[in-house]
Amino acid sequence: MDGLTQVLAGGITQGCLYALMLLGVLLVFQVSKVMSFAYGQVGMVAAFTAWAVNAAGVPVVLALVLGALVAVLLNAAIDVVAIRHIPSDRVGLDLVVTLGLFLLIAAVMQQLIDSNSHSFPALGADTQATVLGARISVNDAVVVGLAVVVVTGAWLVLSRTSLGTNLRACAEDADIAASTGINVRALRTGTWAVAGLLASVVAVAVASRVAVDAFYMTSVLVKVFIAGMIGGLDRFWPPLLAAVGLGVYESLAVATFGADAGVPAVFLLIIAVLAVVPKRFVLDTSEARA
Amino acid sequence: MTSTSLPVRATRPVAVTVTAAEEKPTRSRRQVLLVVAGLLAVIAVPALTFPAFWLFLAAQVAAYAIATLGLNVLYGRTGQLSLAQATFMGAGAYTGYVLGSRGHAPLVQLLAVCAVSLVAGAVVAVPTLRLSGLRLALVTLAVGELFAWVLVHTTDLTGGTQGANVEPLVVGPLDASIPLFAYLLGLLPALVATALVLHLDRTQLGRRMLLVRDSELAARATGVPIIQTKIVAFLLASVFAGVAGWLYGGINGFVSPPDFNLFASVYLLVAVVIGGARSVLGAWVGAAYIVVVPQVFTALGIPNLYALVGGALLALVALLAPDGLVGLARSAAARVRRTA
Amino acid sequence: MSAAPGISIRDLTVAYGAFRAIEELTVDIPAGRIVGVVGPNGAGKTTLLNAITGFTHVSGGSIHLDEVAVQDWSVRRRVGAGVVRGFQTVRLMERESVMTNVLVGLERTRQPSVLAQLLGLPGQPRSRRRDLDAANAVIERLGLTGVVHQRVDALPFASRRLVEVARVLVSRPSVVLLDEPAAGLDQAGRHELAAVLTQVHAEDGCTMLVVEHDVDLVQRLCQHALALDSGHLISEGPPADVFATPEVQVAYFGRSLDAPA
Repeated sequence: MDGLTQVLAGGITQGCLYALMLLGVLLVFQVSKVMSFAYGQVGMVAAFTAWAVNAAGVPVVLALVLGALVAVLLNAAIDVVAIRHIPSDRVGLDLVVTLGLFLLIAAVMQQLIDSNSHSFPALGADTQATVLGARISVNDAVVVGLAVVVVTGAWLVLSRTSLGTNLRACAEDADIAASTGINVRALRTGTWAVAGLLASVVAVAVASRVAVDAFYMTSVLVKVFIAGMIGGLDRFWPPLLAAVGLGVYESLAVATFGADAGVPAVFLLIIAVLAVVPKRFVLDTSEARA
Repeated sequence: MTSTSLPVRATRPVAVTVTAAEEKPTRSRRQVLLVVAGLLAVIAVPALTFPAFWLFLAAQVAAYAIATLGLNVLYGRTGQLSLAQATFMGAGAYTGYVLGSRGHAPLVQLLAVCAVSLVAGAVVAVPTLRLSGLRLALVTLAVGELFAWVLVHTTDLTGGTQGANVEPLVVGPLDASIPLFAYLLGLLPALVATALVLHLDRTQLGRRMLLVRDSELAARATGVPIIQTKIVAFLLASVFAGVAGWLYGGINGFVSPPDFNLFASVYLLVAVVIGGARSVLGAWVGAAYIVVVPQVFTALGIPNLYALVGGALLALVALLAPDGLVGLARSAAARVRRTA
Repeated sequence: MSAAPGISIRDLTVAYGAFRAIEELTVDIPAGRIVGVVGPNGAGKTTLLNAITGFTHVSGGSIHLDEVAVQDWSVRRRVGAGVVRGFQTVRLMERESVMTNVLVGLERTRQPSVLAQLLGLPGQPRSRRRDLDAANAVIERLGLTGVVHQRVDALPFASRRLVEVARVLVSRPSVVLLDEPAAGLDQAGRHELAAVLTQVHAEDGCTMLVVEHDVDLVQRLCQHALALDSGHLISEGPPADVFATPEVQVAYFGRSLDAPA
């Protein structure tokens, strides 16, 4: 069934984007125990900055680097300026504060640019080839390849290097990690910075396929959170695979029920999974803090 | 830094006397009279002095106050962060619109609004009963998105993305197309809602909600029915919001999906946090913020500032002034009283 | 269970995976007595409390209140039957007053319908008065009258501890379980706490189980003591006898106090 391979290819590509973004979420959550609602906006800033700078004449590659740099700095700044000041006994405050930042960042961007939808340079999304009955673009291939490389690289770093060991120590118990000489603060901010980079990649990739406005990363972020919760925010492979699976699920739903089915399919899934799946499977370790 | 010895106490147990403490510190007669007088002034001044447009805004403030009061109960008191409060408003608004456009009387509309809101509240509450924090918020967000999707895909019934013109609410002699009557129509339910929430503060249910928010372990250890409490909180919030939405529709004359989307819910949260999530006065301050501030920024030519300031305030106030503006005012007043 | 029940524990085992926090524990907690539970960290004291109150699952064995087996009961059911506990870390509503925090402890004694509360139906004022009286009484006993309307987060640590104890005691439960209630208190504080608990026990006749590290406090307060180590009962009896037992001394101090250092 040719149509099926196309649907799967599209789903896998989308799922790889979700997985990349989720990697950033997992890194930040496991080390800082925080879920940032503003994370999608950080990616958006990267994409819009790159686009604006490119439209002003800067070559594409440099523009992308600049955009990524802005996202890295912004996400790190969020940690240093806001998140670090959240007292550990105030559960749920990270969500409220990052909701505020979500709104703030989008509003600033809308003010600097405007609130309309924009089309970004396609970045290879229009150069297509037919593979196994599916039309795949350069952009798709890059996304999937990048996802595989980055996720594998992250896995290797986390499991094979001393940096990875230190990160896992911080995730396990920040106080004990600090007492062994690990610079917990620097590592934490570092994870936020890396997450910013990941968000920028995903945001640029999404923006290269569809017209986007200042809030376009919101639905991506929500889906990424869902995948994380399905797989378990304190793990590695299960949530990332769930992210790819979510992309495929979404693609199948749209193929079966039409373009409009995307929203209800995903959100009904959210409700079903979070409501029905037993708690120990959908672990929210931020509750353990209370 | 902190003393670790027990406070001094009588060596014999003292019989409980008439002056034993009530639940809240008793207010002096003068305080009560001041509050009542202030309240009457706040109610009467707009009615007597405001020009039409301001009365119209005041009416909307009253309507939104019902919604923010609901969110105060659900989030401020019970600790459930819901991003569906505007969705509940929408459910009420569109129910009112659909029935009103078919010629049903306001009372019928109100009953239907309450019924629909109760169902909506239950639908959202059930999946969230064992959730908290982000997962809870995401489920409420998902419900909101689903509702928005339904609105857009039922154009025949709801007017879809174009929105719908709502007949002005007419209750007896009060016709909402006249600003003064709109104000009264919004104010009276808002006062009822306010009284209800103030009363809640002195009930066992109110205390249960607080404990559910602050420590589920302690709630379990004292026998508080956690699930029942959460459901009641959601139902109160949804009914309040539904009524608020209905009034908003009947006063504003127009409803459309953006009025009740995720951002509307976030703005309701902003309002509640800025005003003070735990206080009734805070809910009113928040409602005033939602209605008045966008007007101000639009008049200044920078409508975007509403989102910008809202986002900044949400983050800052949540971090630095957890009890909101009302909390800040109260501690400032307490400090003044101490130095006086 | 109106009169204070005794707690009979038979072959109780609480295991978390391969780790056995409590191993086939058999002990009787006499009705109406104040019993101390002592032992080094990790001995299973808090786990025992959790098992009795229903906060942890039981992997084997039974727990009886008088003749009634309760090991399968929910926390709520046990609380309703009069089994009330405090926590090692104080868990209060920080931004609420002492009075509100204590009032919430009366939850188990009344279950008015939600609608009745919302509408403030008649009958409410009288039961409110009863509740306030009960709360005032226990606040009085614990010496908190002066701060009754203050926000708990403004109080010193010792007072916050007492507020939690007040919440436990206000509903006059038949079984009171306290987890290190004196932790963080100074000598004077500990004396006062022992005096208050003794008085409450004398008046209410409840069965009291107190997990404590302070040897002096246990000897002052408790009529009976259990010593745990690594999930096993290693001694029980009058506190002085228990602390004189060589095994207990080894567990606590690393060596028998009689033996040369």
